Amino acid sequence: MMDRIATEKQTARVTSPLQCWECRTALADEQENGIHFCSQCGKVQPLATKTDYFSFFGLTRKLGVDAAQLEKQFHQLSWKLHPDKFNNAGAYERDLSLERTAALNDAYRTLRDPAARTEYLLRLEEVRKEGKVKQQAPPDLLEEVFELNEHLEELRAAKRSGSDPRALDEQRHQLEKARGTFQHKLDQVLAELTNQFAAWDALLDTRPGDAAAKRTVLARMNEVLNRHSYIRNLVTNVSDELEQ
Amino acid sequence: MAYSDKVLDHYKNPRNVGSLAKDDPNVGTGLVGAPECGDVMKLQMKINPETEVIEDAKFKTFGCGSAIASSSLATEWIKGKTLEEALTIKNTEIVKELNLPPVKIHCSVLAEDAIKAAIADYKGKQSVSTAEGATVASATAD
Repeated sequence: MMDRIATEKQTARVTSPLQCWECRTALADEQENGIHFCSQCGKVQPLATKTDYFSFFGLTRKLGVDAAQLEKQFHQLSWKLHPDKFNNAGAYERDLSLERTAALNDAYRTLRDPAARTEYLLRLEEVRKEGKVKQQAPPDLLEEVFELNEHLEELRAAKRSGSDPRALDEQRHQLEKARGTFQHKLDQVLAELTNQFAAWDALLDTRPGDAAAKRTVLARMNEVLNRHSYIRNLVTNVSDELEQ
Repeated sequence: MAYSDKVLDHYKNPRNVGSLAKDDPNVGTGLVGAPECGDVMKLQMKINPETEVIEDAKFKTFGCGSAIASSSLATEWIKGKTLEEALTIKNTEIVKELNLPPVKIHCSVLAEDAIKAAIADYKGKQSVSTAEGATVASATAD
């Protein structure tokens, strides 16, 4: 994943008030809150270091995102920031439009998907840190995941060796069944994840300073997300195998 | 991302792939996973109950090259060691030996966890069988 935008909490910066690079109009915090152009001269602005995918769209860190609204914003911004519109602009402005367009695509791709959105929030809130915080695999799932992977391996080996069609059919049938089971699990775990969204969003509304309560909700979401990653990978692997 | 030569070597010629009898009281099985990449790793060891020496070790890993190499290396290292010695193996030693990049550190952690889980499984089995033995003994004494 591209990290053009901050993915981890930034340390506080000492900054003079932000200004438009062109007309020097003070932009203050606007720039970090989904404002992409100077309100005075309309020039596209560089990304502020504090910008994250949420603030890029002018959103708070709530997880209940209105998908239709997000898509609308995405299309509008794609249009406004499109590099083709900057063909006659200076090199700096062209670069800015490219930078913002790339960030727009990354931010949209991440926020429109509930699981990716959750994972991103968990990284922003430092619950997930590669190499620093170990993620726990759900023990009850491991056995099943392992067995299904063995089935997949057998099917691949059988295909390679060109074994008799009846055995292959039987293998496929087993996998079809497994795919159904795991697709159902995937739906369940996604529902479980989105159920947590309301708790998180309510916290941000009522007790935004309650760090302990936030950690509890985030930890629960992290656990559900770990289950989700396994099941999603399995469904993808099995589907790939069956469709080949 | 480029894999180190050692990772590639273990990946292409993994040592000790396979499985041991799960229900054998002298076999410990560790099944662990890393949700980051959806890896699953099974590591098994056969232990001599008299000497507590690991006489055989097998693994099967579904995951990336680094996860396979880490578990392959782990089985090589634990063979011939006592349980106590095997427990001192640290993931950082695996990282060093295989030259794993920072984004793959969790693969080495997985291998360390697998060793610990297998030993815990073996010890669990042993204490159950001693407990059963004790019950039988007291039953005969009565």
